[in-house]
Amino acid sequence: MNSVNFPASIIRLENGLTLIHQEIAATPVVVADVWVRAGAITEPAAWAGMAHFLEHMIFKGTDQLPPGTFDYTIETQGGMTNAATSHDYAHFYITIAAEMLPQTLPYLADLLLHAAIPADEFGRERQVVLEEILQAQDDPDWLGYQAMAELVYADHPYGRPVLGTAEILQQRSPEEMRCFHQAHYQPDKMTVVITGGIALEPTLAMVKHAFRGFASPPPCPAAAIAPVPTLTEVRRETLHLPRLEQSRLCLAWPGPGIDQLETAYGLDLLAAILAEGRSSRLVRELREDRQLVQDISAGFSLQRDCSLFTVQAWLDGDDVDRVEAIVCDRMDELATQPISEAELARAKRLLCNDYAFSTEAPGQLAGLYGYYGTLATADRCLAYVPTLQGYTTDRLRHLAGQHLTPLRYASTRLHPA
Amino acid sequence: MTASLLQAPCLHRTVLANGLTVLVLENPVADIVSARLFIRAGSAFEAPHQAGIVSFLMGLLTKGTATLSSMAIAETVESVGASLGTDAAADYSVISLKTVSADFPEIFALAATLLRQPSFPLDEIDLERKLTLQQIRSMQEQPFTVAFNQLRKDMYGEHPYALPGIGTEATVADLTQGQLFDFHRQHLRPDAVVVTIVGRITPEAALAQVEQSLGDWPVAQAPSSVLELPVVTPVGTCSMVTQDTNQAIVMVGYPAAPVKHPTYAALKLLNTYLGNGLSSRLFVELREKRGLAYDVSAFYPTRLGLSQFVAYIGTAPENTATALEGLRFEVERLQTTALSEDELQAAKNKLLGQYALGKQTNAQIAQLLGWYEILGLGVEYDQEFQDMVAAVTVGDTEAAAQEFFHTPCISLLGPEKFVAPVAATQA
Repeated sequence: MNSVNFPASIIRLENGLTLIHQEIAATPVVVADVWVRAGAITEPAAWAGMAHFLEHMIFKGTDQLPPGTFDYTIETQGGMTNAATSHDYAHFYITIAAEMLPQTLPYLADLLLHAAIPADEFGRERQVVLEEILQAQDDPDWLGYQAMAELVYADHPYGRPVLGTAEILQQRSPEEMRCFHQAHYQPDKMTVVITGGIALEPTLAMVKHAFRGFASPPPCPAAAIAPVPTLTEVRRETLHLPRLEQSRLCLAWPGPGIDQLETAYGLDLLAAILAEGRSSRLVRELREDRQLVQDISAGFSLQRDCSLFTVQAWLDGDDVDRVEAIVCDRMDELATQPISEAELARAKRLLCNDYAFSTEAPGQLAGLYGYYGTLATADRCLAYVPTLQGYTTDRLRHLAGQHLTPLRYASTRLHPA
Repeated sequence: MTASLLQAPCLHRTVLANGLTVLVLENPVADIVSARLFIRAGSAFEAPHQAGIVSFLMGLLTKGTATLSSMAIAETVESVGASLGTDAAADYSVISLKTVSADFPEIFALAATLLRQPSFPLDEIDLERKLTLQQIRSMQEQPFTVAFNQLRKDMYGEHPYALPGIGTEATVADLTQGQLFDFHRQHLRPDAVVVTIVGRITPEAALAQVEQSLGDWPVAQAPSSVLELPVVTPVGTCSMVTQDTNQAIVMVGYPAAPVKHPTYAALKLLNTYLGNGLSSRLFVELREKRGLAYDVSAFYPTRLGLSQFVAYIGTAPENTATALEGLRFEVERLQTTALSEDELQAAKNKLLGQYALGKQTNAQIAQLLGWYEILGLGVEYDQEFQDMVAAVTVGDTEAAAQEFFHTPCISLLGPEKFVAPVAATQA
């Protein structure tokens, strides 16, 4: 793939930790975003939910930092902090005035390297995660996504909810979590991204000093990652949910992993052609003209092992069969009929501008670098725009034929109970 | 951090001959221009039988003009990869757009046309109505929204803030093209519009652009309407919705000061203290120490009229009574237990620090400046607000709590078995 000069520095420290830094002139803000290759994909099935629960427990302090001290320190200095866990990663970030970073980054490093995971806090925080699960179970779109993921990924970890289940979490212990933490929060699995109003030299010194003294990794049950099953036909699942006011239809096609970025970006273009904006194919036909759906969207979500291309519609239950048939016809047309130059140009422009719009603030940039740095290498994100620009209508048509066939996909429907 | 946007050398404020206000801030860092066209008309301006008309009208602005169809408008925007959207809030409405700098003139000119010359085509009205009615029904799917709508209704009664901005099935079903044109004529007029432009554009170029697109918009003949909100004196209530949800939602709402009230800054600080972030009082007491919730927080929206101070929690149904008691205790104890000097200072640092962090993108800055201007606070409010917060004393926060935190409206949602007994004790 083509690339242009990467504006950030990528530095591998002696202990194996990766630092990505970019100074942004004229901003008084700094973002420190630490990405760890310790998402739900690294859990044994019997420990499902551990990575996410650990993300909560990281904030419960160390021998040096009592629970709550970190949050209080960051927030009373006018900063913000939070974290998120997915299948492929967990990440922890602070956004703060640049001059406050030297006092606060060591705290974040201490939490990540030396989380104490106290037993009493473990029991209390488990209640919080159980509440999070209850809340998710009241959300029909979360339930629909889980059903679809199970249909597509079966026993691969992507088929399990990141939150885990109440049953499994009840059986887990603080000892197991400490083991998981020390095994995975290691320098070779960690990327520290720092963007904003701070120069490289002080950043490097600060990171070197704060991110040292990692525990030696203990033996820990390894994840047995089942292969993503190959879809050989159309798989279907229908859920009937209480309190639903409208049906949902979700069609999903498994896509390539992070090692095939060029294909991935092509699928991004196809999603934009299909359903990005009112003048896109599916929105125009199904919502504006035939008025069969309340809304329809298409998306491509990039994941390490196997990405996902989805088409989702919110509609009347009576129209579900018809809409699914129409969408399948349109997928077939993508592969068999020429895509117009104007449509391609429009999709390229939408995605390239989206990319520009989503790298405006230091936090957005840090997230982008951290994500790519964790799944591939950070500078790969630079290939996004040139790769999109290089696509021709013929190559896209070919790509649709390869990846988006109406003969093999997963169809999930939600109907009111 | 940037203490004040006003101190930035490049903020330009201009009032055109027809009364339209323009604010421009040049920020050459990224190749992006964000703009907002604010209109001094929100859902608070609606007659009760037309509830939802502002939201409906704003949605339809992008669906047709004298010369452009809905699809032609969408194609113009999407073919250059710009974003253009509309929104209706309680006290104002807004058209927002974002482009790379080269595309700004074309898309801004389009936005100006949408603002001035919508045609409200009948077929687009029908489609918008169908989509809106379904959206109103779909609100029932979200327990938080159902509980909040109930609280708002109890608290505001006949006041327009009682209803969600989208309106009700009954009112939206009856909206007509004639009413849309009437509302547009009455409220969308140059002296009720503020345009903000922030990004890689010189003030001269931005101003010329606005002059060209909106400078010849004739001055409205009728005097501008003055918003007169009914006076409400909420009384304590407790309402419940029974649903077989996995979690119960517990919400307590207290009437709270409008933005121009002297205790506004003190209440913003109390909101920060109770509900903002991982170190906030509600989060620490009810989540971290007691494990009652994943989501527990408070919010205090900025409103021209009587606002509300709401604390809420999502919890396992069997915890409903404990959660309600915990929420009320934490809010109402502030009447008698003042914050310590340290707690107050911590809340100030947090509020002012996050305020500064909220000005990172062109779009955020365009929103903040125009919002102050359209509410009648003026761009100076960016600095005044920070000064007011800094000046709040422990005594001010205690007085604010005593004035407002005594008679809550309570909203409960969850399985009948668990919420009904709790509601009965509040009757």
